[in-house]
Amino acid sequence: MKPLRIALAQMAPVLGALDDNIARHHDTLEAARAGGAGLVVFPELGLTGYQLQDLAAEVAMRADDPRLAGLAVAADGMSAVMSFVEEADDHRLFISAALLEEGEVRFVHRKLFLPTYGLFDERRFFAAGDRLRTVESRLGVRLGIAVCEDFWHLAVPETLALDGAQILINVSSSPGRDLAAIHEVGLGTAASWRTLMRTYAQLTTSFLVFCNRVGMDETVSFWGGSEVIAPSGEAVFTAPLFDAGLHFVDIELGDVRRERIGLPLLRDERPELHLRELRRILAERTDMAIDQASESPAADDRPNGDRAARERELT
Amino acid sequence: MAADAGAGSRDIPTATEELFELPEELAIDTDVARRVMVGFIRNQLHQAGFSRALIGLSGGIDSALVAFLVAEAIGPEELLCVMMPYKTSSAESVGDARLVVEELGANSEIVEISRIVDGYFGDGDEPGDGGKSARGASQLRRGNFMARARMCVLYDRSVPWSGLVVGTGNKTEALIGYTTLFGDSACAFNPIGDLYKSQVRQVAAAIGVPEAIIRKAPSADLWPGQTDEVEAGFTYPELDRLLFWMIDKRRSDEELIVMGFNEAAIARVKRLVAVSEFKRQVPPVAKLGPRTTGVDYLYPRRRPGSARR
Repeated sequence: MKPLRIALAQMAPVLGALDDNIARHHDTLEAARAGGAGLVVFPELGLTGYQLQDLAAEVAMRADDPRLAGLAVAADGMSAVMSFVEEADDHRLFISAALLEEGEVRFVHRKLFLPTYGLFDERRFFAAGDRLRTVESRLGVRLGIAVCEDFWHLAVPETLALDGAQILINVSSSPGRDLAAIHEVGLGTAASWRTLMRTYAQLTTSFLVFCNRVGMDETVSFWGGSEVIAPSGEAVFTAPLFDAGLHFVDIELGDVRRERIGLPLLRDERPELHLRELRRILAERTDMAIDQASESPAADDRPNGDRAARERELT
Repeated sequence: MAADAGAGSRDIPTATEELFELPEELAIDTDVARRVMVGFIRNQLHQAGFSRALIGLSGGIDSALVAFLVAEAIGPEELLCVMMPYKTSSAESVGDARLVVEELGANSEIVEISRIVDGYFGDGDEPGDGGKSARGASQLRRGNFMARARMCVLYDRSVPWSGLVVGTGNKTEALIGYTTLFGDSACAFNPIGDLYKSQVRQVAAAIGVPEAIIRKAPSADLWPGQTDEVEAGFTYPELDRLLFWMIDKRRSDEELIVMGFNEAAIARVKRLVAVSEFKRQVPPVAKLGPRTTGVDYLYPRRRPGSARR
């Protein structure tokens, strides 16, 4: 099988300068095509920059915006993942990542988890997506697309793999911080991300493609370090920290089959078990099971009566 | 400062051990720190439409480090170092500042602030324009006035130099409020404001700031013989460690005591931090209209079109 050539566009978008960033995406698509890429991945909000605050509404595009359609035409013959501020019909704003294939916007993933803590304030400016789906790609495999913080929640890579993804793609604008000397590469953020990505690739026995931006918005520096991880959990490629660059990485999609035959973790997943327990946990969290439990005579005189009764009812 | 972190972790630099005390938990990767700070300086200037910068160079380690970082970012020919001694400033301070300028090959100017300051407070028997209230002014008032006079000179010099004023305050002094509001803290941007003093020393040693400057006792040099550590009653390594665990690592008072920090010191530092909150924030504006700057009108400082033409 011919290897798949992935182009990682580890770039520094200009904050709020939509037209400039679109032009740079066009240039990069051209360079990726010249380099023989089959899949081109751009970072989170590569078309707009990250720390937008009230600029978000000013750089928002609908998914059917002609400018995106123009990029889709430019990407024809390749698969491209790029990220923008999406304005929905009801004018909610999302941080979205689009898959462009065969001259059209084939699929849009809306960021599910919006960090609003520490240095992040996303929920103030954006709405959270509520669909997690994989997409059939012209590459012959399903892709699972997620945005940055989505991958700080275990269920996301797991669900994408169960839904058939063989390549998990995470596009990020991860600000570097926690500069202690004890961390791998001197940066706490990078050390954490590297651990996560190797773990997810191994546990889902999928390829993992991570594209993180570089440059600065206001006070924060984005650290780059984009990677491709094999289904075995080993890094195929790691881009330099902080430097912009277009990096080409060849992968053998056949490695997914080999890994999954040898290490059939996905075969042995128990989604029905997970679902059952999740239903129970949800019911307990929202007190939905209380009425049932109160019918149990044991509930009144044992401290854990409620829970014990519910466990009997649900098993 | 033992470098015996767990197997497989990075070596914590120890070559600078004799120059100054570096608490282990504060050790940073100086290459990464330099990279980020130099990138920050370039980015801030570029986004604002400037190619030049200027700093007030005191002869101390903070402004020396910033001079080295700015020179690395944009070249020494684009940096103006302004030395602004008062007549009682120590000769050593100006000498050390000159050492930095020579080492870097940067531009420099000396502007004495003695007449500005004396013109207000008076000089000996000669009364100043500040009148009676100014004559018996405390060292604190005079020190603050000097810091603000230096700010005025620096911002005035920024116009003919066509550059931005780069801040030189560190995290330790910002957190305990050991700064003069609109004085030494005034700047267009500050590359070292998230480095504790101990980390300033670590990066300064790595970037080549002259040893004499790293070694000497830190001082605001607002009056003869003044040193930070005597005035504050803490050594920097002690204070930095306490602030790091208290603020960056969110340890409670009880946990800090268990770690061996002194209860009275904890209380005192907490009070210094709380009482100086106002110095670290933009002055509040009463909310009246539909959109208020800083409240619900929130734009990036460097939005498109914000650069000087």
